[in-house]
Amino acid sequence: MVTPPAMRRAISSASTSGCDASVSHDEPALPAAAASSAIDAEYFDGRSARAHTVRLSLDGRSLVIDGDGVSRSVPCTEVVWPERTRHGVRVAHLRDGASIHCRDSAAWDAWTRSGGRGESLVVKAQQRWRGVLVCVAVLVAVLVAGYQWGLPWAARKAVAVVPASVDETIGESALASLDEHLMSKSELPADQQARISAAFERALATLPAGTVPAHRLVFRKSGIGPNAFALPGGTMVLTDELVQLVKGDEAVIVGVLGHELGHLRQRHGMRMLAQVSALGAVSAMLFGDFNSLLAAAPVWLGQASYSRDAEREADAESVRLMKSAGISPEAMVRFFEAVAAYVPPREANAKASKPGQEAADDAASSPKPDAAQERRRRQESWLGIAIASHPADEERIRFFKEAAAH
Amino acid sequence: MTTSPWNASAAIEPGFDSHGTPAERSLDIRFTGSGSEYFRIWIVNLLLTIVTLSLYHPWAKVRRLRYFYGNTLVDGHALDFHGNPWKMLRGYLLVGAMVLLYSVSGKFSPVAGLVAFLIVAAVWPALFKASMQFRLANTSWRGLRFRFKGDTAGAYRAMLPLFLPGLAVLVMVLGVPDPVHPPSWYLPSFFCAMLAALLVTPWLLWSLKKYQHDNYALGQVQTGFKAKVSSLYGVFLQTFGVSLLAGVMMAVVVGVLVMIGAATVIAAGKDMGRNPTVALIAGLVIIMVMMLLMQLLPRPFFESRLQNLLWGKTAASQLQFKSALRFGPFFWLTIKNWFLMVFTLGLYWPFARVALARMRLEAVSMVTTLDLDQLHEHLRLADGDAAGDAAGDLFGIDIGL
Repeated sequence: MVTPPAMRRAISSASTSGCDASVSHDEPALPAAAASSAIDAEYFDGRSARAHTVRLSLDGRSLVIDGDGVSRSVPCTEVVWPERTRHGVRVAHLRDGASIHCRDSAAWDAWTRSGGRGESLVVKAQQRWRGVLVCVAVLVAVLVAGYQWGLPWAARKAVAVVPASVDETIGESALASLDEHLMSKSELPADQQARISAAFERALATLPAGTVPAHRLVFRKSGIGPNAFALPGGTMVLTDELVQLVKGDEAVIVGVLGHELGHLRQRHGMRMLAQVSALGAVSAMLFGDFNSLLAAAPVWLGQASYSRDAEREADAESVRLMKSAGISPEAMVRFFEAVAAYVPPREANAKASKPGQEAADDAASSPKPDAAQERRRRQESWLGIAIASHPADEERIRFFKEAAAH
Repeated sequence: MTTSPWNASAAIEPGFDSHGTPAERSLDIRFTGSGSEYFRIWIVNLLLTIVTLSLYHPWAKVRRLRYFYGNTLVDGHALDFHGNPWKMLRGYLLVGAMVLLYSVSGKFSPVAGLVAFLIVAAVWPALFKASMQFRLANTSWRGLRFRFKGDTAGAYRAMLPLFLPGLAVLVMVLGVPDPVHPPSWYLPSFFCAMLAALLVTPWLLWSLKKYQHDNYALGQVQTGFKAKVSSLYGVFLQTFGVSLLAGVMMAVVVGVLVMIGAATVIAAGKDMGRNPTVALIAGLVIIMVMMLLMQLLPRPFFESRLQNLLWGKTAASQLQFKSALRFGPFFWLTIKNWFLMVFTLGLYWPFARVALARMRLEAVSMVTTLDLDQLHEHLRLADGDAAGDAAGDLFGIDIGL
């Protein structure tokens, strides 16, 4: 809305009289001139691309615009003021679509400051290196704390409200896919399967009521070597190869199953899903604009680190079960020894022609993180530790030995 | 000035020089943003976005766009962004909920995932149009808002090259009763459909870009796109050639590395070569170098060629765009950005972004005989749907500069 020009002229006569026609809009006033209460700018009415050279002044709570074919006054509160930046043009928006452009940013900032306009905390932080340093420090602190405690805590809380039926659905579809591609029917004798199940259930019966999650033990012949794993919803898969590896030692098998039961009790699968998704979102926020390859790296490292934490929790659960059932945690030390001595069948054949080589040195890679081969491939190097999904064997053996000693 | 902009005729009058012939003027683009300043804006934006669990995103985006637009001077006049962060937040939440549903549904069952995928695929063109409309309606130059004149039907037509092979794949996937033991026709025809999808990519890109570049408008001026499909195929073929070249270079690098490795092993005795950690690290380094090379050479080549083609073939009556983005400088800039990004763990990103924007924007110019003072708009148009803006973020839709 434009008020009668005559009235506006009267109000802003002081500033218009100071308007020098020789000051073209291509050469804005010097910053020194900004100390005065008026400033030169370009005005666009929002309907035409024609620039109107105008002089701006602040009159009480109004912005007075006066000049080439324009004369109006707008309450300051109806103006969308630009924020201070070191580079770039200042553009203020008016409600009716008109806008005011000023190329001399320094003059504009001095002018608005002299008019008593403050600026937001965000702008202050953005425009001072001290503010920026504080922001960097807080950002790093927030990221580290969020990664260390925030995400695991939030994932635990989030998973707690997810009904168990969700876990079951996910677990069933995972098992179906594994059965299709990687596993076949178990070839263990039925009575051995029954003996293992019974030993496990006997051990579980010694635990306090209410600490045993819903579970179902299934046997499979594996395409990926000795392995045992738990799927969300309670399905625990034990492979024939693992049973053969430990020569049917039931104490060891109960320890391994206790570890997998620990994953189930803590709902690690679901928590990992939530944590990794959140980590992916944050990483995409940080690096995604640049390159998705680079954004994947923190997720990869973070996932491995969270996975190692989960393995430690599951090891503790395994010790809890073994102690309650009167089995020495030393059994798990035997397990790691058996794993360390394991040679994949194909490699074992190849080895036959090249005697004298240590099997442990050059195992084939394996597709599953839980697979035994990967453990040996991992050396004590920091790089190996950073990308491994499990803690180093030495650490875990030490853990079980200490548990056995106490 | 005697002509009032209010009663200018709908057709725009060319500006005349003293001889009475239309005066041709070149409009240059200058980018005045600074990396260090954008770094400060970026870091504050990032902190607030993370602390507010991403609810601050629209405000961050408005600050970013106002900074980049305010530093993009077209013929000396800055662009400007008018988006309202509160409206954008609504759109952001809406699209965020959709994404959440989409990503969760796939985890439950493949069928739910497929249904969600189909829904997203079906609304994608409409969102594409909405996002273009929002962005342009909220961008202004010399006080005039841009407009995007494309309609929804046009957006669906533009996506047609993608939908045809996509539909074929879908019919095949649904038509096979037992995916584990597919009938004999399945694999060959599936392969053909995928190959077709690959072959139509340049056509798809052309059709999307035509839809975009045919529909940009400011005042009475509307752009048109004159590139032929074949020229897009040309760019893709050239890029393929450059990729081959990169592949050969990669093979040489790997070969040299392997030879050096073998020499070291022989020199150091047998023990070292059998250390799996060394082999693992060496393998990782080789893979990283290869990926980097593949990313570094063909991508800047493709991007620079594409920008030059797209904008060089964009014009309106009495207005011709030009783009002269040279591959050499753009390639070195990409290398420099990558190097510094990795070594600063991502903190260099704002500097990289400003440098890229400067190089890409300043390569573009316009030649016109229009008297720009005559540009005008009779109606003020709606600002566009902010949900479209958020969807644009999601799909990485942008003007292409």
